Amino acid sequence: MKEIKVAVVGNPNTGKSTLINAIAKAKLQVGNWPGVTVEKKEAHLKSGDFTLVFVDLPGAYSLSPFSLEEKITRDYLFMEKPDVILCVVDSTNLERNLYFVVQLMELEIPLVLALNIFDEAKKLGYKIDLSLLEKLLGVRAIPTVAIREEGLEDLKKAIIEVYLEKRVPHKLSYGEDLEEILEMVRFQLLTLNPEVEVSKLSKGVLLKLLEGDQELFFKLNLRYHLDEIRKYLEHIERVHGEDIETYLTDMRYGLATGVVKRVLDKPEIRKITLTERIDHLFLNRYLGIPIFLLMMWLLFKIAFDIANPYVDFVDETINGPVMKWARVGLEFLGSPEWFSSLLLDGVIGGVGIVVSFFPVIGMIMFLVTLLESSGYMARAAFLMDRVMRSFGVQGKSFIPMLLGFGCNVPSVYATRVLEQEKERKLTMFLVPFMSCGARLPVYVVFISVFFPKASGTILFFLYALGIVVAILVGIVFHRVMYRGASSPFIMELPPYRLPTLRDLRVHTWIKLRHFVIKAGTWILAINLVIWILLNLPWKPEKPEESYLGKFGALISPVFKPLGFGDWASAASLLAGSLAKEVVVSTMAQIYGSETESQEEKTLNIKEDLKEIALNFLKKTKEALNNLSSTFGIATLTPKEPEEVKSLLPRLKNHFTPLSALSFMVFVLLYWPCFVYGIATKAEIGTFRLYLQAILLHTLVAYAFSLLIYQIGRFIM
Amino acid sequence: MRLSELKPGAIARIVAISSTGSFKKRLQEMGALPGEIIRVEKTAPLGDPIEITIKGYSLSLRKSEAEAIVVEVLK
Repeated sequence: MKEIKVAVVGNPNTGKSTLINAIAKAKLQVGNWPGVTVEKKEAHLKSGDFTLVFVDLPGAYSLSPFSLEEKITRDYLFMEKPDVILCVVDSTNLERNLYFVVQLMELEIPLVLALNIFDEAKKLGYKIDLSLLEKLLGVRAIPTVAIREEGLEDLKKAIIEVYLEKRVPHKLSYGEDLEEILEMVRFQLLTLNPEVEVSKLSKGVLLKLLEGDQELFFKLNLRYHLDEIRKYLEHIERVHGEDIETYLTDMRYGLATGVVKRVLDKPEIRKITLTERIDHLFLNRYLGIPIFLLMMWLLFKIAFDIANPYVDFVDETINGPVMKWARVGLEFLGSPEWFSSLLLDGVIGGVGIVVSFFPVIGMIMFLVTLLESSGYMARAAFLMDRVMRSFGVQGKSFIPMLLGFGCNVPSVYATRVLEQEKERKLTMFLVPFMSCGARLPVYVVFISVFFPKASGTILFFLYALGIVVAILVGIVFHRVMYRGASSPFIMELPPYRLPTLRDLRVHTWIKLRHFVIKAGTWILAINLVIWILLNLPWKPEKPEESYLGKFGALISPVFKPLGFGDWASAASLLAGSLAKEVVVSTMAQIYGSETESQEEKTLNIKEDLKEIALNFLKKTKEALNNLSSTFGIATLTPKEPEEVKSLLPRLKNHFTPLSALSFMVFVLLYWPCFVYGIATKAEIGTFRLYLQAILLHTLVAYAFSLLIYQIGRFIM
Repeated sequence: MRLSELKPGAIARIVAISSTGSFKKRLQEMGALPGEIIRVEKTAPLGDPIEITIKGYSLSLRKSEAEAIVVEVLK
């Protein structure tokens, strides 16, 4: 069976993603582009005698790349030479979309246009002369409505048709002068690169050389005479009074506009669109920000208050029945104790950590996708840019940062909404300063012992301190490391659109899968390392004798100036790199206050399963309760962790109120947990950012705790 | 006059882009070409960025970037 390679391209916000999801249905394969973590979607579909291989390329406004994603699109189109290009076009915005189409035509590859959102164009009263459009451009143009799966069969037929006919788009004339120059450039390239076939040197390639895209030429491995090229450029500037880039953009837009004038019949009087009406309210001078804050409160509440009971459910199921079954099974097999412990705590515990992130990452990615595909994300950026820009990120960064208060891990994934690599990394770097839900139990324990009367004030102080530190670090980074290099903010405000359920499902699932595959194995590995540190040399009599204890004792003097120089605090902080709430449970363990509850080991799988099901129902009820009962956010409501009740009185022997405050500040700011680190590695491909974060955040934490402790001592 | 100086509701024609490099190119590719007629729609509640209509769609850009667009006011 013959394969036809179809590259799917299009401007952002044209419904390209919906179209590819609708075409692929269950056949969608997801991976990453080599070397980067931009999503790559593919689908193999049989159609008649052919297999159509759709490759979804990132949305692009132009083949002169401005972002990493546009670079991928350019590289693929120029280097991989697909058999057919399928360009998704927003029928309500023909002119700018055709500008991109004109560039695609230069590649001289059979081209099919999907005139998407055709129903909306009709509603606006637009009449598009399809056959004239096809005739003028030498392409096939198929009207589609991706959200209702209309036009997809015609699209496939058109793709096969242009492939069989080898129908290359018309070569539009760029003016005698430029055409002559292009011929000379072609001749030069052929002379310098005798091994290259003429057919490889499309108009697009020649124009790229004139545009000065040397990076692409390096990748294409083509030799050229820069001096001669410069001569042509000077000629253009002299004769036309414009530099080549302006001249070319003008020329291409001129062609696009000319075509639109002939094929599009627009009504004289423009109706006020729904989008304009909504924006009148959402971007209103006085109401815009309050509405935004309300939306963000809702986002946060829905995400965490619904997801958290299920996190508990997963946790309880794995640490309860699943552990029990495994333990019984291991005993039955007569496994040695150390192996059982390794398997239960090290492996199953690690799997538990991975799985327990499902509800929260899934929920958040669902909501973030909803915000993005509905069009509100661009508005959020518009509203918040003024604030966020002052510390080196842009408006869209607000959302990952906000989600950070719930959990830093999904925030890392939420940074995908940022197109510019630099802003994305800086946002990721600042997210851990947002005090996540896992740090709350630590505060609660210490506050209830040392500051029972001022609990609200202290909590507020901690959260606020995190934000202030993030702003300070952001400003410093912005000023020092990336001085002046604020990336431009030229952003389309797309019309509001209803996303389809399939899109939401597909995108949420893709991110979850990515987390499991890319982060899962790392989380398992590190959990094992921690198990080793805690349990070796095998069965430490006292916690001090484990590697963790010894290491804690070794580094504890460092914390003396901060007010907590004992080995137990140091060891707890080390264990806290697993997840910050572990600080408390480790402390409880070390101070020997935990009484190991002997679990019954009778195996009754039926009873257990019933219990799991009942627990699931209970958690669902809890989630609904959280959502409806209070205006506050349940996730951020302090609750005393059950298992550490007996720890409370003992804390007074080891801490003073001042050193407790210093300790809490340290926990707030230090070493982001390793799941966060793995998420950043999964997203940007290296551990560098995490290592920098460990170093810098710990340093900042140290500085602030030192300041607080020493100033406090001075005052008292 | 510069685009950054216009108030919401103003309609203007682009005269020139006084910038260079990839920023200028991107502005032009988004439709900001000399001769193009644009309309200032809104200023964000906090005073920056602004929203304009260009080639029939909505584009947002910061004032510092709008400064690079030289315009002649029509209305």
